[in-house]
This record gives sequence, structure tokens and C-alpha cells, in this order.
Amino acid sequence: MSARGILWGSTALVLLACLVLVLLIVATKVTRTLRDRRTSALVAPHRADLLAVGSGEDEDGTHRDALIAVEGPAREALDDALVDLLAKVRGVPAEELAAVLLAHGAVDRAPHDLKHRSTVRRARAAHLLGLCHVGAALPLVVDALRDPAAEVRVAATRALGLLREPSAAPPLLAAVGADRAVPAGPAGDALEQLGVGIADALRDGLLATSPTTRTVAAYLSGEGTFTRSIDLLRLSLRTDEDPVVRATAAVALGRMGRTADVAVLLEGTQTHQPIELRRACAAALGDLGDPSAVDGLRALLADPDPRIAEIAATSLLRLGPIGRAAVDGAPTNASIESARAVARLQGSLS
Amino acid sequence: MTAAEGIRVLVADDDPDIRDLVEFKLTQAGYAVEAVGDGLSAWEAFQTEPPALVILDVMMPGLSGIDVLRKIRESGAATVPVLMLSAKSRDSDVDTGFAVGADDYVIKPFSPRELLHRVNGILARVR
Repeated sequence: MSARGILWGSTALVLLACLVLVLLIVATKVTRTLRDRRTSALVAPHRADLLAVGSGEDEDGTHRDALIAVEGPAREALDDALVDLLAKVRGVPAEELAAVLLAHGAVDRAPHDLKHRSTVRRARAAHLLGLCHVGAALPLVVDALRDPAAEVRVAATRALGLLREPSAAPPLLAAVGADRAVPAGPAGDALEQLGVGIADALRDGLLATSPTTRTVAAYLSGEGTFTRSIDLLRLSLRTDEDPVVRATAAVALGRMGRTADVAVLLEGTQTHQPIELRRACAAALGDLGDPSAVDGLRALLADPDPRIAEIAATSLLRLGPIGRAAVDGAPTNASIESARAVARLQGSLS
Repeated sequence: MTAAEGIRVLVADDDPDIRDLVEFKLTQAGYAVEAVGDGLSAWEAFQTEPPALVILDVMMPGLSGIDVLRKIRESGAATVPVLMLSAKSRDSDVDTGFAVGADDYVIKPFSPRELLHRVNGILARVR
């Protein structure tokens, strides 16, 4: 075959593949739209009952009983709508919606559905187990953190937050650094929901092999002021091989550190350190609010990096009269003026 | 006839479930509810006829709830009370809502009964 023939053949193949792909996308969208319409049509006759239960306007249980009595194909569609609504309300309405799902057998089926071939069903099952606070399903939901589908892993993460069982913290922290990772945002939210019982897990997380896990552990230690993590945060700031972990540890120390941490943070502002760490440490010194940082911060006002100089000036202005005096006594530059302007806008400087 | 009878409340949320729930709850209490699904529609509805109270979601297509709140506070009807109803639950989110001028901030998932109490409370204070 000639070179031109090969070229035409390849081009035709590529075009054919594109056409198949477009047809596949259109077919998927059409199928999804039709399914959604069918679901809406099945739920529509029960919408008023659903809203009455979901809004707590069902004191005698009439609407709840009407929902429980739904049979046939409408029941499955209704269960999906119940799960959607259950995620949006709390209090008595949430308990009543869960009672309907329980009466329909949806909660009993959910552990089995976690192994269903459909990704949507697996994700929905994880979500339902969390929403209905099925504590006995905790190990199954933890297993779902390793599901091949990202959608299911995220649903399992959120479910673990809803189950509020602190023993889920170590697998959640490990999941953010796994090959099939759980996104740090939902994992952080779920871990925060687990409460103070995650303190030890956060300490262990700061020593994990995955830098993502260490970063999340450092961030949450600061957000939740988990003082038990302070010694390891100092260690992370000084020695961690990952600059993001070090900067995150600096932020956490700024939120809950002690006077002793001024020296640790100032060490992080030295010129041989990575620029992001220097900036994080300079800002953290302002958060910490300890006056013993004044001399170190004053030295940064003439830093070659104008952003560091500005952050140092901002931190000094946050330290009260002694910090403001240090800024006023320094030769002025654009960074200092910028920090003053921001402080004026924020109302902390007249 | 209840104290809420006919008082106009504008609800803006891109989630139809939330919109319907809030509309159902407030309508049952006697309020006249206008529900819209995005920030721009909320701002247009507000301009057409300012309601007695506005309930705004934060994350909406087009204009965010914070953007709409800012516009309301810069408008000729700046004193209309606004209640934010949002899944954004961090302290900084709540701080932003109040800083821009919200009168109250309810976090999702929410209790419809509590929302009604807050609406009643705000309106009782301003009317």
C-alpha cells in the first residue's frame, strides 16, 4: 500500500472513531434524559406528600404513610427522591424521610448495593447508609473508599462524615494519599465532622508516607486547634521533605502555637528556605500574635521579595502598638505602603 | 388569618428540592412566596417589586447569592432583610455573609421549622 493510501486509511479510521464517540455521548445523554423524565413522572403524583414530610408539615403521619404505601416501579424512583431530599433537611423531617426508606427496605438493601455493578447504585447506597446513620455498615463504607469509581469513593467519604465514628479517621486520611485517591476537600470535611476523637489519627497522619495525607493532617490540626499535634507540626515544619506540608504546618502553628514557636517560624522565613514556606511563616507569625516576633519580622521589611516584605508588614500591624511602631520606624517602601492600605481597608489601621 | 398572611417572600435557590421545600413550608404558614432558580432572576424579581424578605442560596448560576445581597444593599430598598440559606458552612463563609449585610445565615442541611421561626423572627423585628 502506498504512503498516500496509508494516510487516507488512518484519517478515515480517526474520523470513524470520532463519529462513534460522538454517537456514544449523544446516546448516553438521551438515555439519561429519558431516565430522568421517567423518574420525575413516577415521582410527580407523590411530590406533595414528599414535600409535606420533608418540610415537617405532617404531624399526624398521613403523608408519611402515603409514601410508605407506594408500590411498584414508582417505589424505586421515590426512594431516589427520598435520598435526595434527606441530604437537604435535618431534624424530624429527616427522621421521617429515613423511616419511609426503612419501611421500603432501601436501608436493608444498601449494604448489598455497595457491590452492585452500577456505579450510581453503589454511590447511592453509600450515601444512604450515611444519611440513615447505619453505624453497623461502617466497615463496608470504609471498604468503599477503595471503589474503582471516584463517584463512589466520594460518596463513601461523605457517608463516613455523616456516620461520625472517629475510628473512620485513619482510613479516611490514608484514602487521600492512596493510588485511587479521595479528594482532599470532601475528606477534610468528613474528618472535621468526626469531632475531637480524631486527634490521634491526625498525629499518625502527620507521619504518613503520603505527602497529601500529611498535608491534610497538618491542615486539620490547625483548623480544629488539635494541640496534641503541635510537637509533630514543629517537626514537619523543620524537616518534612515536601514544601506544601511544611507551609501547611506553619499555618497550623500560627493558629495554635506557643511563644516557643516564634523561633520555629522565624527559622522558616530565612532566605535559604523555599519561597512559599517563607511567606507562610511570615503570615503565621501575624496569626500567632506574639510580640517576641517583632525583631524577626522587622528584618523582613526590606526583604528582596516584595511579597514577603508586605506579609511581614501586615503581620507586624497585627501585633498591636509594638508592631505598628516597628513598621513606622522602618524606611518606607511599596510593600509597607501596600500593607498599610490593606490594614486601613480592613479597619485595623486609622 | 395568620400574621404572615400575604407577606411577600422571595426565595432564590438553584436546587428545585430546596426551592419547593421552602416555598411549601412558608406557604403553609401564610406567606406569599415567589421562588426563582438563579441569582439574576432573583435580582430582577427584587427590582420589579421588593419583597418583605429575601432568602438566598450562596452558590447559584449567574449571580451568586453574595452578589445579589451586595446589589440589594446598594439598592434603593437596602433595608429589606435577607436570610442566607447555604451549604457553605465554614466560619469564613458565614462571616462573609454577615459582612456583606445578611440578617441571618442558615446552614444546609436545614430544619424547615427552624427556618420558619427565623423568618418570623426577622419580620417581627423589622415590621
